Amino acid sequence: MIVAELKEIPEIRKMIDRYQSVLVVGCDSCVAECAVGGRRETALLAAAIRLSYAKENKSRIITEACLDRQCVDDFIEGVASQVPEHDAILSLGCGAGVQALARVYTDKPIIPALDTLFIGETEMRGVWQENCLGCGQCKLGYFGAVCPVTRCSKKLMNGPCGGSKDGRCEVHPDIPCGWDMILKRLEALGEIDRLREYVPPVDWSTSHSGGPRRVVREDQKP
Amino acid sequence: MEKTPTKIVVYHCRNLRLFHDGRQKDFERSRPGLKLVTIPCSGKVEAHHLLQTLAGGARGALVLACAEKACKYLEGSMRSHKRVDYARVWLKKIGIEPERLEFIHLPPMDRGALDDVLEEFTRTLESFETVPAAANIQQSR
Repeated sequence: MIVAELKEIPEIRKMIDRYQSVLVVGCDSCVAECAVGGRRETALLAAAIRLSYAKENKSRIITEACLDRQCVDDFIEGVASQVPEHDAILSLGCGAGVQALARVYTDKPIIPALDTLFIGETEMRGVWQENCLGCGQCKLGYFGAVCPVTRCSKKLMNGPCGGSKDGRCEVHPDIPCGWDMILKRLEALGEIDRLREYVPPVDWSTSHSGGPRRVVREDQKP
Repeated sequence: MEKTPTKIVVYHCRNLRLFHDGRQKDFERSRPGLKLVTIPCSGKVEAHHLLQTLAGGARGALVLACAEKACKYLEGSMRSHKRVDYARVWLKKIGIEPERLEFIHLPPMDRGALDDVLEEFTRTLESFETVPAAANIQQSR
């Protein structure tokens, strides 16, 4: 899932101050799981914005709505009737959601309320861990399902750097060493022999370094 | 001109049995500005409810919960406390006095204690100059 964080209120206010009416639109998928953009958080942000304007005795129309997904047209249409009544949309979706809204509602400014961070997992309640860079060439099968591209700070593909201590990363001692995790996992699975196979350096042309990516599947088209 | 009563919303856990005799409305009527909301467990109150309460025009909101070890739903009271704290962080962020939200463990069936709490809370709220004048803000969903 996509993990994001809420921007600071002054930054959001700076972007929406010029509008008289704002539609706050949440997304009840990934960003709900990381507790920044679901129904609850949409209601919370909308109430906070109302209070912040009220404190300054400024009059604004703040409406809230939440879509099940902000990155799919069929769901985006869920707020179609509310959009014309507002000057702008404040999106609690990830960057993809914000841009999808902008593509559909071409005449409305779409303002992001979140900073989109990474693709990750909910490790435990309140802790989200990045574990996929979307490099476009998944090799998790060789590494016991622990990604060296994401979990190793040095992105090493053929063994640890030798600098880790007590299973902690040399670069960021507050995180576990990716290669320590790979080794322990493969040992536990009895598949340590997988590491005998040479893995060539990552070809970054399939990652974002190769420019914006697009998947087209004829079988899925209408 | 008569002074406008301080508008306070009180969310109280049903299991406190504060109004087991059915006199909640009487209690409310005798204290202008007070709104009592019975909830199945204090853990049902979330941060957005509290901010919406203030945005709706209340000067302050109280959450009354059972003692943590007495919570019928085990974690409700503890969660509620954390949520009130979280809502207070939001108030700080937008420059509104966090003391407008209060979380209190109340002894069950003790309306006298409720009166004391209300008296002190009203005094606290009246000491604040700024009022979330949310009447200026239109809300819709």
